[in-house]
Amino acid sequence: MKNYLLLVLCMFSFQVLFAQENISIRGTVTDASNGQPLIGAGVQVKGTTSGGQTDIDGNYTIENVPSNATLVVRYIGYLDQEIPVNNRAVINIALEVSASELEQVVVIGYGTQRKRDLTGSITSVGGEEIAKQPNLNPLSSLQGKVAGLTVVNSGQAGASPTIRIRGVNSTNNTNPLYVVDGIFQTNIDYLNPADIESMEVLRDPSSIAIFGLQGGNGVIVVTTKRAARGETRVNFQSTVGVQRVQKKIDVTDAAGFRQLYDQQLSNLGAAPFDYTNYTGNTNWQDLIFRDALITTNNLSISNSGEKTTTMVSLGYNNQEGVLKYDKHERFILRLNQEIRVTDKIKVGADLNGFHYNQQPAAANLNNALWAAPIVPVQTDATTYYAMPSFQRAQVGNPIATLNRNTGNVIDKGYRIVGSVFAEINFLNDFTFRSAGYANLGYNSIRRYNPLPFTELIVGENGQPNETFFNPLVRTSVGQEQAENRRFQQDHTLTYSKTINEKHFVTALAGFTTLFTADSRIVGNRQDTLLNIPRNPSFWYLDIVDQSTPVLTNEGRGNESALMSYFGRINYAYNDRYLLNLTIRRDASSNIAPNNRAGTFGSVGLGWVMSDEAFFENIKGIDFLKLRASWGTVGSALGIRNNIFRPGVTIANRAVFGDNVNTSIAPAYVPDPNLRWEVVRGIDLGLEMRSFNNRLTSEIVFYDRTTKDIITDLRLPGTAGDFTYTTNLGEISNKGVEISLAWSDNIGSDFFYSFAPNVSYNKNKVESIGPSFDFSILGNGGINRTITGESIGHFFGYRQTGIYQTAADLDNRASWPNSLPGDIAYEDVNGDGEITPADRVNLGSPFPTWNFGGAFSAGYKAFDFMVDVQGVAGNKIYTQRRTANFAALNYETNRLNAWTGPGTTNIEPILDNTRGNNYLMSSYFLEPGDYFRFRNVQVGYTFRPTGASAIGIKQLRLSISGQNIATFSRTSGYTPEAPLENPISSGADNGIYPLPAVYSFGVNATF
Amino acid sequence: MNNNKMRFLYKKIRNYGLTLALAVVASVFPACKDFLDRDPQGEYTEDTYPYPQGAGPYDQFLFAVYSELRDFDVHSLSFIAVTSIRSDDADKGSTPSDGGSNAIDMDNFPVTVNNGYANAMWEGYYNLITRTNIAIDQIQNNEAIEASPEVKVQSEAEARFMRAYAYFMLVRTYGRVPLITEVFDDPAAQSNVPQNNPAEIYAQIENDLQFAAANLPASWDPLFIGRATSGAANGMLAKVYLTQRKWSQALGAANMVIMSGQYDLSTPYDRIFREEGENSRESVFEVQATASRTFPETNGVQYAPIQGVRGAGVWNLGWGWNTPSAALAAAYEPGDPRRARTILFTSTTTEANEGLTIYGEKTPLGLPNPRYNHKVYTNPARRTAIGSQGGWWMNVRILRYADVVLMYAEAANEMGQTQEALDKLEMVRARARNGNPDILPPVTTASQTELREAIRRERRVELGMEHDRFFDLVRWGIAREALHAAGKTNFNENRDVLLPIPQNQIDISRGVLTQNPGY
Repeated sequence: MKNYLLLVLCMFSFQVLFAQENISIRGTVTDASNGQPLIGAGVQVKGTTSGGQTDIDGNYTIENVPSNATLVVRYIGYLDQEIPVNNRAVINIALEVSASELEQVVVIGYGTQRKRDLTGSITSVGGEEIAKQPNLNPLSSLQGKVAGLTVVNSGQAGASPTIRIRGVNSTNNTNPLYVVDGIFQTNIDYLNPADIESMEVLRDPSSIAIFGLQGGNGVIVVTTKRAARGETRVNFQSTVGVQRVQKKIDVTDAAGFRQLYDQQLSNLGAAPFDYTNYTGNTNWQDLIFRDALITTNNLSISNSGEKTTTMVSLGYNNQEGVLKYDKHERFILRLNQEIRVTDKIKVGADLNGFHYNQQPAAANLNNALWAAPIVPVQTDATTYYAMPSFQRAQVGNPIATLNRNTGNVIDKGYRIVGSVFAEINFLNDFTFRSAGYANLGYNSIRRYNPLPFTELIVGENGQPNETFFNPLVRTSVGQEQAENRRFQQDHTLTYSKTINEKHFVTALAGFTTLFTADSRIVGNRQDTLLNIPRNPSFWYLDIVDQSTPVLTNEGRGNESALMSYFGRINYAYNDRYLLNLTIRRDASSNIAPNNRAGTFGSVGLGWVMSDEAFFENIKGIDFLKLRASWGTVGSALGIRNNIFRPGVTIANRAVFGDNVNTSIAPAYVPDPNLRWEVVRGIDLGLEMRSFNNRLTSEIVFYDRTTKDIITDLRLPGTAGDFTYTTNLGEISNKGVEISLAWSDNIGSDFFYSFAPNVSYNKNKVESIGPSFDFSILGNGGINRTITGESIGHFFGYRQTGIYQTAADLDNRASWPNSLPGDIAYEDVNGDGEITPADRVNLGSPFPTWNFGGAFSAGYKAFDFMVDVQGVAGNKIYTQRRTANFAALNYETNRLNAWTGPGTTNIEPILDNTRGNNYLMSSYFLEPGDYFRFRNVQVGYTFRPTGASAIGIKQLRLSISGQNIATFSRTSGYTPEAPLENPISSGADNGIYPLPAVYSFGVNATF
Repeated sequence: MNNNKMRFLYKKIRNYGLTLALAVVASVFPACKDFLDRDPQGEYTEDTYPYPQGAGPYDQFLFAVYSELRDFDVHSLSFIAVTSIRSDDADKGSTPSDGGSNAIDMDNFPVTVNNGYANAMWEGYYNLITRTNIAIDQIQNNEAIEASPEVKVQSEAEARFMRAYAYFMLVRTYGRVPLITEVFDDPAAQSNVPQNNPAEIYAQIENDLQFAAANLPASWDPLFIGRATSGAANGMLAKVYLTQRKWSQALGAANMVIMSGQYDLSTPYDRIFREEGENSRESVFEVQATASRTFPETNGVQYAPIQGVRGAGVWNLGWGWNTPSAALAAAYEPGDPRRARTILFTSTTTEANEGLTIYGEKTPLGLPNPRYNHKVYTNPARRTAIGSQGGWWMNVRILRYADVVLMYAEAANEMGQTQEALDKLEMVRARARNGNPDILPPVTTASQTELREAIRRERRVELGMEHDRFFDLVRWGIAREALHAAGKTNFNENRDVLLPIPQNQIDISRGVLTQNPGY
């Protein structure tokens, strides 16, 4: 202890000592070409960590600089400059535009690297691009920005998008890993888009190899904002917008419904329905949607002194859902501090506090689509019409449901993510860094189940109307609490040296552990005597006496751990020949001890051709790099905790008389040899800058194969319905990614840029199991995964038309029980009849093409931006149209249903008892291609000067529209069908609409 | 401080830093193994489960089998559709379009290869079989559980009874099915076992039931009422033999039940199907279900709710499926009280006497169906007490004593033991008569053919809506005439006596399973 005190004391005096010898320097950093000040340029004292950043006017000040030191000035997109101080107090610096933005530094995991030295596929998206859009989740803003990245956005308040990097490479978990300032995360919901400095999408095996078993599906590295050095800065960003459903599903109104239901009953040979007392014409969809508010706000204050940098940021985001009364509210607090103890020692800490309030939607989309429009809504505040007898048992009054459920759930979450680190630089070239991270989450939910409303049951067939109040339903309350913990430690030793100006080496060795745990407890009680009031103050379990027999409770927990060693060498010879070697050894608690640890690695090579002597004669190309990488990575994301153990379930109860007994049955079928998936791939890339650096092009080919896929099989048929998790089969993804960027200016006032990207991915299941061959069916056999075809493709019959007449039936292949008006299917095998053998691969739910483009322009203080994006090559299954369990409202395509020979060749007869028309076929598929104007934004930037500035240095006002136009051929709310589950994706069961957002934004810096 | 001192201090700091870092790293290494050993939290595994010792160490595995009996795919919708809606006893019911083609095709054929109920039934019963195989595997191979040979044999008998029951349902429903009697080392391969012939399936069923009959107790402690007994095994065996026309063996097995002394016909017909009639002296095997306010559904079976009166408000007692057919209503002899106990005739404006439930409630006018299954009608007082209208607590009567007696009569008649057959037939009719001498006169014919007809008629009315009718028609070879007479004219005896092998299962097996003829 005494020694430590001494140490601290010494550090203090050490600093004082330096101060005596040093001077203070100030100056301005400008663009050499036009003399404009450069904001945020880094000015550093060479060989130290001290320095600062230029302010809004390009000015900088550095204290305590040794009079004989050298300054290093850096700015992205410009060439570094070194200037000896030579005892000067004022040093103005003009930077030359760099040959390319390849000088940019990207975050690569446990370190950074110059973009020009990369040998893998990493795309960086800047924080400004992310924060510009009115999204709660930063990931939503990546849509269309990165080649090879599929983002499926949801309009649901607070929902996280589904992210796929380079296709689907597993039948199980295909989510990427998120690494936020070093900590491994499975989601980044707690981040405010305005707090993000950059997001890097790492796609190829050589880039992800350093992340081990968690990174096999690709990695998104998120770096949050730090204080800019050298000044105090206050920034306020805010967007306020309104969301509106762009497109509703076309369903019939009362007249249309009557027409179609009459037609159906007559086709069924049933008596006509008595509509006498059903006088409504209700558009249920209109009643469950609303125009909803969205707002994102961020206030950040940063300060950087000589020894410390501090940043405090406060955020408040609120999204109301367009489906009543969905709502998600976030409060975000961030604090980060870095202390430079000495030139060689740096310590720092980060703290992120996050709190959300969630109110789930009380309305149900399908309910509104299914409910018959002939029914009015209500007679008074507590009496609602019941649905007609033909659907009463299955469909409730959508507005009664909405009003009964509204506000019954109080869902709050809290999350703290923090880290501390210490970094020591020694022997000039070595840096040792230790960091500890913690992520603590806590959720608390309270629920209430109110009394039902009175139902008005409309009399049919001459019966009188009657009202009904169900006396059997009792009020109940529930409480749920869950906590989760995640602890991570990283220790890395980095050696970085340039030898003889030719050899540049960075070597890294590290050790890391990750521990995650969670637990959850849920209780419910029902009051059989009293009616608990509809007031949240009462919604605690104790409001119901314990002696009431109605009580359920449950609780569970999880723990898992991961431990790894890793190393990496980056070597560049003469800036021209690049080598990257990565190795990582991982051990996971989720894998049986006998094969718990595995070693993975990658090799990357690069050749900057444009630096070669022979290239000097080649005009027009400013930079050309070829790169290739190969890697083998493990992926264990799909393994549930302890699944290698023979877990049992005691949830099934045997009943004898009125005695209830617990039982034991396997919870699943364990595979004691379960291992990680092995992802292996090569990546070939070409990066080029041409036309005086105005055009940047990048083209990448990749070929990646996942072996030993962790497959969660619901064992079919004769094996019982146990889940069996095992290593099974092999899937390949091959593709091309092309990214272009053109930027130029016309005169000095107008600049513009256009950056399109497109990617193509081909997925193929090479095999599903070495020793046997069967198929994995998803979504009740709609999706099929078999050897030789793309994963989870739609499998069914191809519609060729409608059988028009009995003669038609004789002439064409048909089912034995086909009738005129039924869908005619293609006789694929030509045997003259339709049999299950005529089913074919009808297409993939996963897009083969993803594309996006960003156009931006600036004229004087105006800026303008248009982002477009889309996908192509996939199909969407309109599963919502297959519901035939009752008489439901019809989508308007059924107005064209077959009524006799020659009426239609597409829509079958209205008769939900003809099973042949409900078989999976191309009739239920729509092309999933779409093209969307994702963002259109116009901004104006003020740079007030003088007294009118009232402290404002810069102010940008903007108006924008998101999702303002989507062109697609789908009939649903949005063409983005869920792609969450690889083996049963692409079904539209009433997908939450993705609304258009019209918003106004402010970004002010003080 | 001079420069030398500074350098010294700097060095010291550096050393501290290094030492500290090394210490951190070093401290983590010894703990590595422990760090990665993470036990399941709040969950047992087969290795950590504290198996109960003593009388019933395997009960926990067997209870998992019993629990499966209440599964939706075992004794709910698909069970009702396949065994009852397919027969001439019942129609789909509900509103015309309710249930769509899955339901309509069960009612009036052909059932398409994609029928959801056909697939659900397959999965449900194979689930049941898997659980029995797991229990047997545990009994034979789990050395962690100590048990006497007697306990082992009895527990195995219980599992094998249930396995036999499941295969009996499957073989009658699908014909050729894969016979799986063990837990596979490679579970995934289990989805690729080829089918066995019905003869092989029946051999296994008989073997299992004989073992069960020999080793199960005749009755259980009231705490375990409803567990499989030797009577249940013999009764089931009688039906298995009868289905194969093995008359003398059927007679023998039925006789074992009759001679056991555990059962009689003392329970009034009216009472058998009430809640208080569950597990009576009539009951040979029932799927046990119960409900409470806490668990109105979890410990029950969705059997009665599917068939409950489809009304509104207080008359919303269920889906209104599986309604007794006009043909069944016409099958009763004049005055047979079993007719009104089997069929709930709903109120109409013309027939004033009808529309009363056994509890005397008057059903409302305007219900979508003229008849509902009266045997699943729940006690209104029970509904109020539990706070649920559905009736998840109703047991499913799988085998009752009258069924066994009639099986005996049928076998006896086929063997020419006419008087034995007449006596047994009269036992059932006497109970139905309930002391009223004006109805259901005793059958006295000496003709084997006439008696056969009489027994078949008796089976139909005594066991109406009790899920045996379709299988009876098939084994008697009269399915076509009976179903066509009931208006189910699409029935084709070359195809529809068996369901199709579900296309889903054929797809999963990639063609190892083959389709039944005609589909």
